Amino acid sequence: MTFFEKQTDPTTPMHWLGNMQADYLYPSGIAGDKLFKHIMKNDTFLAAKCPKCNKTYFPPRLYCEDCYSEIPNKEWFEIPATGKIKLYTIATIDTYGNKLENPKVIGMINIDKTDGLFLGVIKTDNLDENLQGKQVEAVFKSKNERDGTLKDILYFKKK
Amino acid sequence: MMTTKKEGYPKYAPGTKASGKDIANKNITHSWWEPEVQYSWSLGPAYSRFLQELKKGKIIGRTCKKCERVIVPPRMFCEYCYKPTDDWIYLKDTGKIETFSISYLDPNARRIKDPILIGVISIDGASPMHGFMHYFGEMSKDEIHIGMKVKAVWKPEKERTGSITDIKYFKPWKGGEK
Amino acid sequence: MNRVAVIGGGMTLFRRRLLETGKELSFLATKMAMEDSGIEKKDIDMVVMGSAPDAFDGIHMKGENLLDGAAAANKPYVRVFNGGGTSVFAPIAGWWHVASGVADTALVVCEEKMGSCFPHPQTAFQHIWDPVIDRPLHPNLVWLFAMEMNRYMTVHDIKKEDIALVAVKNKRNAAGHPCAQLPDEKITVDDVLNSEIMAWPVQRLDISPPSDGASALILCSEEKARQYTDDPIFIDGVGWNIDSTMWTNRDLYFPRYVANAAKMAYKMAGIQDPRKEIDFAEPYDPFDYKELHHLEGLLLCDKGQAPILTREGVTQRDGDLPVCPSGGLLGVGNPIAATMGQKVCELYWQLSGKAGKRQIPTDPQIGVGQAWGDIMQMGTVIVMRRG
Repeated sequence: MTFFEKQTDPTTPMHWLGNMQADYLYPSGIAGDKLFKHIMKNDTFLAAKCPKCNKTYFPPRLYCEDCYSEIPNKEWFEIPATGKIKLYTIATIDTYGNKLENPKVIGMINIDKTDGLFLGVIKTDNLDENLQGKQVEAVFKSKNERDGTLKDILYFKKK
Repeated sequence: MMTTKKEGYPKYAPGTKASGKDIANKNITHSWWEPEVQYSWSLGPAYSRFLQELKKGKIIGRTCKKCERVIVPPRMFCEYCYKPTDDWIYLKDTGKIETFSISYLDPNARRIKDPILIGVISIDGASPMHGFMHYFGEMSKDEIHIGMKVKAVWKPEKERTGSITDIKYFKPWKGGEK
Repeated sequence: MNRVAVIGGGMTLFRRRLLETGKELSFLATKMAMEDSGIEKKDIDMVVMGSAPDAFDGIHMKGENLLDGAAAANKPYVRVFNGGGTSVFAPIAGWWHVASGVADTALVVCEEKMGSCFPHPQTAFQHIWDPVIDRPLHPNLVWLFAMEMNRYMTVHDIKKEDIALVAVKNKRNAAGHPCAQLPDEKITVDDVLNSEIMAWPVQRLDISPPSDGASALILCSEEKARQYTDDPIFIDGVGWNIDSTMWTNRDLYFPRYVANAAKMAYKMAGIQDPRKEIDFAEPYDPFDYKELHHLEGLLLCDKGQAPILTREGVTQRDGDLPVCPSGGLLGVGNPIAATMGQKVCELYWQLSGKAGKRQIPTDPQIGVGQAWGDIMQMGTVIVMRRG
């Protein structure tokens, strides 16, 4: 048995409408700031290697999540903005459930010389092609348009 | 056991300050996000009836027989004895100021010259210290005090929508007058 | 039940906005605690993260986001949260892990990035109010504190001058803290009383600043602690209690939820007369009047008497009952959950004689820390003792 009252009249108010509104500013962090500033000026990436367990990170990090060692500056090195598609999918609807005019290919790319995967949009003319294992390279915005965020990487395309 | 004077902890303070200027001048990279999330909250039987009655120009509460409480804002269960509450009961639209603030910040935290008077009113007919928050009007910041008797000033009937804002504010009340 | 000891603490700089991400802040605080204790990630059995609303950092389910910075990847992990109460509640949750015997060593990390919420963290606070009864009035969080402060002042007839003494004491105490955001050795009562009125009776210098920061604590069993040090510091009492969210139906002049939590903690710690047995206290001080409110809630003085203790200098670092020797939230900063650095890490550093310039001269043996949160609801209390 729960409450003694029941709501049977459909004209009684049932809901209260509202929203949650706030804007967010996310600093890129110590590691992220270095990476994005590099990408603003170069068409290459930076990776960082853990001095203890040798795990190589892209995006580079301040610390290794496995052995928890701090990754010092000297373990950072430049790498080409290329990689291999390990997994991919073709998205036909957007975040809000609306049909996309042009389906989008989203891939998990193993950036060369690093461990782990990186999420990227892949531009292709042929949606039927099997992209598994294909080599891709990043295409960047023109240098004067880059603003130090992930969007400076426009997409990846087959090499 | 006397302790010897050791080095102070924390020995250092790691972290890098980032100022508003750093952001504006783009000295540090950052990204923005403006999420838009909409909600439709279920009112439940208690608030539903409360808002309906506010539209009619009345304040209603619930009784808990076990705790001998008259509760407003009404709820379907008593949070102290944890039983369902028992009956509806109409309350007066007068009350007493239990606490207040004189705010020079508007709801968006912007500075204003003429202060907003806000506080908690315990409603006549309900148990002591039972009431809700609302604005005060027709009184100056020098007049407002804890213990002051107040009465609700309602919006005209046509403008009421079934909301706590159907009461515009509470004004000073000498008692006896309508 | 195992006895639980603290063997390391750490905290980052506290500032209005820090460059580091939440993960990086968690790493920096944990690293310091690990350096302090000699513990490494592989020695840690379980991790507890304390972090207040996702809405500050702007990352939904941020417990999951922060964990790799908190040495929790591939470990048993839990996030706890009850607003400001988290700063003492997270170590209490860590205590559960070790006291129950499921973990021998537990790491507790608290992190907050209020700087991400734009233009001001106040925007996130708008959403704690009841959407039907409170929010249509567009309340500001400062109004809520102002109303509680007014009630407290009126019931006990307390003057603002006595309350301002707390802000002065804490900001001066913070001058000895390397992480402090608003230390001020020269601040006076007049400075506080002449500061801008936000919502009377609250003025600008009555309030602690919003901050970014993180803090960490390493807990372990008594047996393990005695391998690390001859002088272990124990968590001997924990208590937590929450009151209903219907804040307009309560008399705000006394925090009964703090008193209930304190009774629970004192009983566990075997403390029968807290006024005689407690050597120093770190009550939660997001506003200056809150320190007084909470001292009474902690049953360390009669209701309405806390301002008198302050006026008489009893609560100074060299007084009979030092209160907030760290500089508290008013002096060091208020990154909600990460204030564990001032409330619990400080107890550890004071009891082990490691507080440097902030050290209480009277060789303290027992300290009590307390935090408070939500809409005037949560009381969390911790009692720590030299072994």
